[in-house]
Amino acid sequence: MSFPKVQLSSRPLHFIYICDCSGSMAAQGKMQSLNQAIRQSIPGMAEVAHQNPEAKVLVRAVSFADRATWHIQIPTPIDNLIWTDLKAGGITAMGEALELVAHQLRTPPMEERALPPVLVLISDGQPTDDFNSSLKLFMREPWAQKAVKLSIAMGHDADIDVLQKFIGTDLDSGLPRNEIPGESGQLPLKNIYKSPSKPLIASNATSLAQYIQWSSTAVINAASMPATRQAGESSGISNVHLPDLPPTITDPDIDVETLVW
Amino acid sequence: MNWILPTGKPINFGGLSQPIVIKHGLGSGTQGQVYEAHYCGEDVALKWYFPSCIERDPSLKQRLIESIRATSPNESFLWPMALLYSNDKFLSMPQNSSSSFGYMMPLRPNGFIGVYEHLGSNLDISVQKILCSCLNLSEAFHQLHLKGLCYKDISIGNLFFNPTNGHILICDNDNVDIEGRDLGNVLGTPGFMAPEIIMRKAKPGSNSDLFSLAVLLFRLLTKHDPLKGLLELKIKCMDEPARRRLYGEDPVYIFNPEDDRNRPDPIEHSAILSTWPIYPNIIKDLFNQTFSTGMNKPELRALTGQWNKSIATTLNHRRTCTKCYQENFQDPNFSYSCWACGLKLETPIIFKTPYASVVACEYNELHIHHLDPTACISIKSPIAVVVGHPSDKSVLGIQNLSPYAWKVLSKKGDTIQLNPQKSCNLKILQRLLTHAGPFEILKN
Repeated sequence: MSFPKVQLSSRPLHFIYICDCSGSMAAQGKMQSLNQAIRQSIPGMAEVAHQNPEAKVLVRAVSFADRATWHIQIPTPIDNLIWTDLKAGGITAMGEALELVAHQLRTPPMEERALPPVLVLISDGQPTDDFNSSLKLFMREPWAQKAVKLSIAMGHDADIDVLQKFIGTDLDSGLPRNEIPGESGQLPLKNIYKSPSKPLIASNATSLAQYIQWSSTAVINAASMPATRQAGESSGISNVHLPDLPPTITDPDIDVETLVW
Repeated sequence: MNWILPTGKPINFGGLSQPIVIKHGLGSGTQGQVYEAHYCGEDVALKWYFPSCIERDPSLKQRLIESIRATSPNESFLWPMALLYSNDKFLSMPQNSSSSFGYMMPLRPNGFIGVYEHLGSNLDISVQKILCSCLNLSEAFHQLHLKGLCYKDISIGNLFFNPTNGHILICDNDNVDIEGRDLGNVLGTPGFMAPEIIMRKAKPGSNSDLFSLAVLLFRLLTKHDPLKGLLELKIKCMDEPARRRLYGEDPVYIFNPEDDRNRPDPIEHSAILSTWPIYPNIIKDLFNQTFSTGMNKPELRALTGQWNKSIATTLNHRRTCTKCYQENFQDPNFSYSCWACGLKLETPIIFKTPYASVVACEYNELHIHHLDPTACISIKSPIAVVVGHPSDKSVLGIQNLSPYAWKVLSKKGDTIQLNPQKSCNLKILQRLLTHAGPFEILKN
């Protein structure tokens, strides 16, 4: 005498980490910080997945150094995810990493129906391969266009322009939407506000952990089960309405001292 | 998690006479953070807004002050109790400003869980308890609407329920507004928003609440979305523009009798096809009224009072199949077969009043509204419950849950006193004289 057990109609939500494992990530414990941040984010991610029964959250990871390889190749339900630590060493084949992901965003292997994939690119440096050509290939895939693309710069040496190109146009920059930044020749408007449509700059391990946590919880939530909408929001501009960034994260444009309390 | 408010030490907020101690953070959302706190010997909850939220919603403070003054429509709301202002101490924190504020509300008691636990099939719960939650839900919004208020953002995320008794708690009451005034920015949650709100043709109010309420009831009862049928399967990527099409531009109810474009798919939408046969037409008709007739005519949507009546009647008619033990909810005055196994259902024993027919089935309850047509429909305080005998569950009795001694008229014509908490075997029962009125016992 209990409610009938039924198969809920659900869609897959592919979440892919694209992680820089080049030699420079070995410095200052950056590689360890990233491993730790991802590992720490798993329980929260599992909780969000649990609360969204209509989304099947599946996680994968690509690492790139001399070559790009799948660190987690099989789309893994979050409850089964065990994070094996990434190791640093080599150069920065970021373009190759995008091509690897692009192959997986084709249908098949990608399902015919899904929620927008969430792709998180994390890097501390500059690509050493032909990133722009790879990005063009990547952006030809319809699921790549539909994906929520986030990028996290580890430290101030990361190539922000490259990370911005991965995300696409900063929606607050006044540039035409859906163009690869720089192509129109227009200069973006200067705005100092942090936003998910700009690379997130993690200047220390704490802010890295917070950005990873935000990407793997709030963003997954937004891509699968939309939250309350307010009038005047920019709905319709982006294909997924991204939540605000956590307000307490140290913003690189604000003096760090003022945030200490 | 970065928590804005400091824990463990007394804080003097403007708006409170005594200091409050924040124990720990409970959750963080897009609007702010919620904490568990201790105030004047009691555990309470505290919501503190992000400055960005206050900036976006200039009338938030005014609405909260008015809600606090209006008091909670009934006990199903985690209603704001007091407004809290930041004092000088907070001025030094960049996350706050002199204009930061929050409010205090009751703490969600143990035993209440998110509705997603039911949707994700993690619970062993009866259809009866789900229907109880649905009735408590429509009753809560009935009381809110009767107060001249509207909620504006009914969704799964704002509802908790207790699976053991079907009690509910509605949280995030900070968008509540006086109907028709349109103070505030909230539009609702995609998937629950009425089409006219998505298309920006109207502002949220009680009519759009009725749409969102029906979506929530539909999802609780069927574990499916009323607008997800074949049109959903045509959508490859379920993103914002796709949701706008499905729920706003061309919304089609999956069972719209005059538009069959969006029927459920037998494989992809199997949940609705398994659960839909459970419910009687008095429920299905209200969904049809809201999602077919009322889809583009907000004023024609089923009202909270209609939901209360239909769900309460459905609960009265609950009986279990003797073969497969599934719960059935069809009118016991007519002949029906079990929706699950097809067995012809036996004519049950019925507690009859001029206003209700309640089937004598274990766990069914008698309520004041069965006897008094002027009483509010409410299942919070049952006066009696049908129970199985402790040593033989097949022997059914009626237990007096009221504080009054009742009289029972037996078939032989004897009068027996039924004291509070005592139960009487249904076999000997002909008439039950409660403190609120009589129930006649009809047998096959």
